[in-house]
Amino acid sequence: MEKVIGIDLGTTNSCVAIVENGVPTVVPNRGGYKTTPSMVAITEAGKRLVGHIAKRQAITNAENTVYAAKRLIGRKWNSPQVKNAVATSSYRIVQGPHNDVRIVLRDKEYSVSEVSAMVLQEMKLIAEDYLGEAVSKAVITVPAYFNDNQRQATKDAGEIAGLDVIRIINEPTAAALSYGFGKNVEKTIAVYDFGGGTFDISILEIGSSGIFKVIATAGDTFLGGEDVDARIIDWLVHGFKEEHGIDLRQDRMALQRLKDAAEKAKCELSSVRETEVNLPFIISSGRNEALHLQRTIERKTLEELSGDLIERTIDICKQTLSDARLEKDDIEDVILVGGMTRMPKIQQAVGEFFERDPSKGVHPDESVALGAGIQGSALIDDKHDMVLLDVTPHALGIMTQGGYFEELIPQNTTVPTHRTKIFTTSRDNQTAVKIVVMQGESERAEENELLGEFILTGLRRAAKGSVEIEVTFEINADGIVSVHAKDLETSKEQSIEVTASSGLTRDEIKDMIDNAKDYMVERRSTEEVEAARQEAERMVGEIERLFPQVEQIVAASDFGRDAIEKARAIVAKARQAIAKRDLVAIKSEIEGLSRTHRMFKGVVAKTH
Amino acid sequence: MTDESPKRKRSVRPRKPDAGDDNDRPTVSPPFDVEAFARAATSPAPAPRPIGAPTGPSPPFEREGRGEQITLTNEVELERARYQSAKRTDPPRSNTPSALSIANAHAPSAPNIPAQRALSPTSIEAAVLGAIAASPGPEITERTIDDPIAEMCERFSLGDYTGALEMAELILAEDPSNLEAAECGENCRTVLESMYAARLAPLDRTPIVVVAPTHMRWLSIDHRAGFVLSLIDGASSVETILDVSGMPKLDALRILHELVQQKIVAFK
Repeated sequence: MEKVIGIDLGTTNSCVAIVENGVPTVVPNRGGYKTTPSMVAITEAGKRLVGHIAKRQAITNAENTVYAAKRLIGRKWNSPQVKNAVATSSYRIVQGPHNDVRIVLRDKEYSVSEVSAMVLQEMKLIAEDYLGEAVSKAVITVPAYFNDNQRQATKDAGEIAGLDVIRIINEPTAAALSYGFGKNVEKTIAVYDFGGGTFDISILEIGSSGIFKVIATAGDTFLGGEDVDARIIDWLVHGFKEEHGIDLRQDRMALQRLKDAAEKAKCELSSVRETEVNLPFIISSGRNEALHLQRTIERKTLEELSGDLIERTIDICKQTLSDARLEKDDIEDVILVGGMTRMPKIQQAVGEFFERDPSKGVHPDESVALGAGIQGSALIDDKHDMVLLDVTPHALGIMTQGGYFEELIPQNTTVPTHRTKIFTTSRDNQTAVKIVVMQGESERAEENELLGEFILTGLRRAAKGSVEIEVTFEINADGIVSVHAKDLETSKEQSIEVTASSGLTRDEIKDMIDNAKDYMVERRSTEEVEAARQEAERMVGEIERLFPQVEQIVAASDFGRDAIEKARAIVAKARQAIAKRDLVAIKSEIEGLSRTHRMFKGVVAKTH
Repeated sequence: MTDESPKRKRSVRPRKPDAGDDNDRPTVSPPFDVEAFARAATSPAPAPRPIGAPTGPSPPFEREGRGEQITLTNEVELERARYQSAKRTDPPRSNTPSALSIANAHAPSAPNIPAQRALSPTSIEAAVLGAIAASPGPEITERTIDDPIAEMCERFSLGDYTGALEMAELILAEDPSNLEAAECGENCRTVLESMYAARLAPLDRTPIVVVAPTHMRWLSIDHRAGFVLSLIDGASSVETILDVSGMPKLDALRILHELVQQKIVAFK
């Protein structure tokens, strides 16, 4: 049976998991790491870098390195989050042709889905390398607050990466799935997810017979572990400036090293009380000598530096509980997700707020991917009975007179659902009404997301307020939103089915899929040449190592000299093939090299 | 302008080659009398002098009708340098007292690569080397370059790619649209990159830092080398380090090569 991979496509890190023999497992990447930075870069030579390698050059090649693309995915150009990203990102963000967002890398424009697809493609490759077979189906997680367009854009990214995204599930739901896997729990839990780039808090109900229901969710898309890193960097930079009068921020190489060191120190301080940041030759003094940075940072200092950030997460927790009309007592367990939750101060703050020790039952970095893997396995395996009941992450409604937003389906309503409301005309003799369908929480319509619009015509001419129009919102089990407007007097009806859009046309997506395929073919071919080259070079090395011994042994005979000559010719031909990077030639030379190697080894073995 | 300070500076003021000037003789005229040279070397140093006049075939970037200029060697040496340059795959040396190295020594970015030939001095050679070491060294004055393009072309033709690149960059700093300098600079980069890459090859090897962390501070390296050193994690190949360094490939290769030469870095 084909494996379905579960992918946690995170803001800063991504993770891929599968279920093997009934056990959910995270797949490590080639470097042995279980998470891969969600970063993509293009080098000066035009080479694409994804993951750790992209992260290592993120500051020295800042203009061409994309991080936190997830904050932009599926968003409109004029959204506040995009404006914020444009102002704060080191890479260039421009307006796309469909009022969407594009990222410029080395003068080439990429859609956000395309960039995310590069990360997904990497996760797919990691799984394929591990499984030794092609993978085509995936379950991808998204934050619970993602709107339909963001979900669609994530699906598009999967498609571009060559994946059939069989389900998009909410991250807290995935974490809860991982938490409840193999247990028969019936609980209301809070998922406190403090990752590298975002913070989310979600309240879920885990029911008997495998029902997972998100009751409420909230968060901050610009609050994460990177903010803590930034505080450590500030502290180090400030200290260095006081000592040497030099601002390390002015030097990209110094800043790259500081960023890496700050993240490392932050992680270490979760398990030790103090750690040393040692960066020799960090910068030149300008007097032909290099300066070193060496400082000890204590856990207490880190807690002081990040205290307000932790407090912000607790404020969001308070607000979420209040919005969901829940008391702390209603929460029966708290699970911690995201690398930042390893920080003892955070565990303490969460424990104090919820008045209970957080559960240590799930892995902070892996639980979301594991949950996605579990869901993927359940979807292709009929034996699993699991129902994921999701909620609408945002309120749905229409725009009314004066540019206000009238809510029909409130935020966090469990789907499927439908709601109806009666509206009236706002002008005398009004014969048509425009129904503008929106999603969001703001009272001002312009601040919410436009989902679609349609016009109901043929209304009776009458004084304002006297013609009644019934508007019905419906969300089916697949999350498809449809809106109906009906003139109650004439029963004349108009409706719209809201199709989520990532901002890309089908043709564009098709082109991107083709480009991604081409890239994969090229990459696989390069990898194949590389593997063959290494194999050939290894054998050439072995043969050359044995040459003197073999020559000494067989020099006396004509046959031996002939064999040596032939071996030299084979090695020379192999070297030529290696130099040309010609796969077919290298492969054919490997055969000859292998024979020669065996023969040489045999000759040497016989004389010993 | 003459620099009296002990610090060595670039030499040679442009002047016309003087017919009959005994400085016009070839610097290497076999048979070479080592003992005589040693004696001469210990006597007071003569004033700096231009050596020889160019007559050979035009280098690839040589412009037609270029004006008065100085050269650093004679035709015999030029030919030899061209031949050596064509043959050689390693970066130009900077510490041998040849015409090539004189040009290299001018360039601040010249590769600091130790001589490949291990010297095992005979008594005469030892005398020569000792004499050279004991002598105050040539008096070196600042040099005004009247025709930077010609200088660039000449350095290129001499195989001094670092020096030619330096000139190309100087020219481009003043005139970014200078195609000749851009082309020459690009060619120099390509040649130098391949030279350093050949020295470090194969590039899929994994470098490791062989200096103990406690001794790191005592190394004589600059902050750029310190940065490259920080990228060496025992898992990343040279190729990966070049990709993530964020600096021009040539710079990264040069620094890596220097770290290997200084035995700070080795390969797994």
